[in-house]
Amino acid sequence: MHDHSTRSFRLGIAGPVGTGKSSLIATVCSELSAELRLGVITNDIYTDEDARLLRSAGVLDPERIRAVETGACPHTAIRDDVTPNLIAVEDLERDFAPLDVVLVESGGDNLTATFSPALVDAQVFVLDVAGGGDVARKGGPGIARADLLVVNKTDLAPYVGVDVEQMVTDAEAARDGKPVLALSRNDPASVAQLKEWVLSMTNVVRSGEHTPVDPGPVAPHTHVDEDGQLITHTHAHAH
Amino acid sequence: MLADGRLPTGGHTQSAGLEPAVRAGLGAGGDRLTDVAGYARDRLRTITRVEAAVAVVARHITVSAATAPRRGSRPDKWPATGDPRLSPADDATGTASRAAMSLGMVEAAWAARTPSQVMRGAARRQGRAYLRLAARVWPDVLRYLRNDTEVARPVVVGVIAGVTGLSAEQVARSVAHDDVQTVVSASLKLLPVDPADAASWLAGLHDDIERLVTDVASLTEIDKLPASGAPLLDVFAQNHADERMRLFHA
Ligand SMILES: Nc1nc2c(ncn2[C@@H]2O[C@H](COP(=O)(O)OP(=O)(O)OP(=O)(O)O)[C@@H](O)[C@H]2O)c(=O)[nH]1
Ligand SMILES: [Mg+2]
Repeated sequence: MHDHSTRSFRLGIAGPVGTGKSSLIATVCSELSAELRLGVITNDIYTDEDARLLRSAGVLDPERIRAVETGACPHTAIRDDVTPNLIAVEDLERDFAPLDVVLVESGGDNLTATFSPALVDAQVFVLDVAGGGDVARKGGPGIARADLLVVNKTDLAPYVGVDVEQMVTDAEAARDGKPVLALSRNDPASVAQLKEWVLSMTNVVRSGEHTPVDPGPVAPHTHVDEDGQLITHTHAHAH
Repeated sequence: MLADGRLPTGGHTQSAGLEPAVRAGLGAGGDRLTDVAGYARDRLRTITRVEAAVAVVARHITVSAATAPRRGSRPDKWPATGDPRLSPADDATGTASRAAMSLGMVEAAWAARTPSQVMRGAARRQGRAYLRLAARVWPDVLRYLRNDTEVARPVVVGVIAGVTGLSAEQVARSVAHDDVQTVVSASLKLLPVDPADAASWLAGLHDDIERLVTDVASLTEIDKLPASGAPLLDVFAQNHADERMRLFHA
């Protein structure tokens, strides 16, 4: 159905409210708009605030930033019924063909909100230090299995009494070695790492070597079976 | 399935015009919640009546094409319709492409009865979402309409009904029920509504829905489509497009 020459790398950005998703997209745009042809779709909850914020940041041609309404269901919009988002992405790809990367910002939601693989090729989950150092340990599908976990606003750590290194260690433990990035837009070294990750992921997806992973609604977890053996698995029932 | 709001066609972004109406004062900020049921009833008598009738006629055209006797005319006798949303001649008898042409006329008749360009835009975007789903679930629809194009939702729903064997009554009822359901579901997000009250409004509109079904189910001709409008709702819809604070697309 898709013309391969116009199909972009679709990168989802999810995470709780206010953790810095829009700011991260603004950073990616200002770092990479010279190298990559970019587009942005925002999923605002109540306003077109995020789209406006990004347009006014002047990091990308405002016409390449489009907002999708979510009917107060940000979770549905990126997971159960991705139709409006998918149409928005494909229209953007068509109108500005060819695009290299389309960034899709989820409306700020809770820890269980993750993108459907039908909508994005890869996803970043954004936490911030101000949400508390223990959030990473609490886990959840986005924390455990997003392609990249960002621990954002590290510059605030001293003010909120969070040990960034410990938070990153907790997150790494929850993620089986998948990457974790401690980020602050005021820390150029971390911004460079973010840029590097986006570039290399773009290349991986383009080469066709990447299969989108579904973080899924329930994180893998461990419990002890009747024989005292530890088993780790994912499933849908509650216990 | 068609009447199920969980169908992945972007239904969660729609309020059937309730959000703009609430903004214009419907429900009096929560003091007059029964306005919602009255609003849904007004739609059943006007906008939704037209949509259900359009779906019924689109279904009729589709069913007639599928059961038409083969005439054996040459395929090139029925050239492409010229409308990129309609499927070109693709069968030996040209019945599908003739039907596609008639569907184009139904769409035009619907557009003529839908004066708000914002409403037309929203209905066509929804139709596009249904077409994308149909391409996967009911691919026969693509004999008549092109995938991923903006055709008004009632036309697409009528064609889906035609290829899946729904009756005229069923498709009319599905359009009416879906509209009321969209209104009452959105009311839960827009006003301080008790969900059980919302369900009782839906139940209370049963007779209105059945009256609509009886009135439109026998339609087969484009010229007989009702043209009942709700100008105030058109104005609300137009205003909504410029609104900054909004939950729903329309
Ligand atoms: N100190 C600091 N503040 C940041 C950083 N990144 C973002 N912020 C601030 O965090 C606040 C929220 O940032 P946004 O980018 O709007 O967060 P968001 O996740 O897009 O928010 P929602 O879309 O509303 O869920 C804003 O006030 C930003 O200026 C950072 O690296 N350091
Ligand atoms: Mg944001």
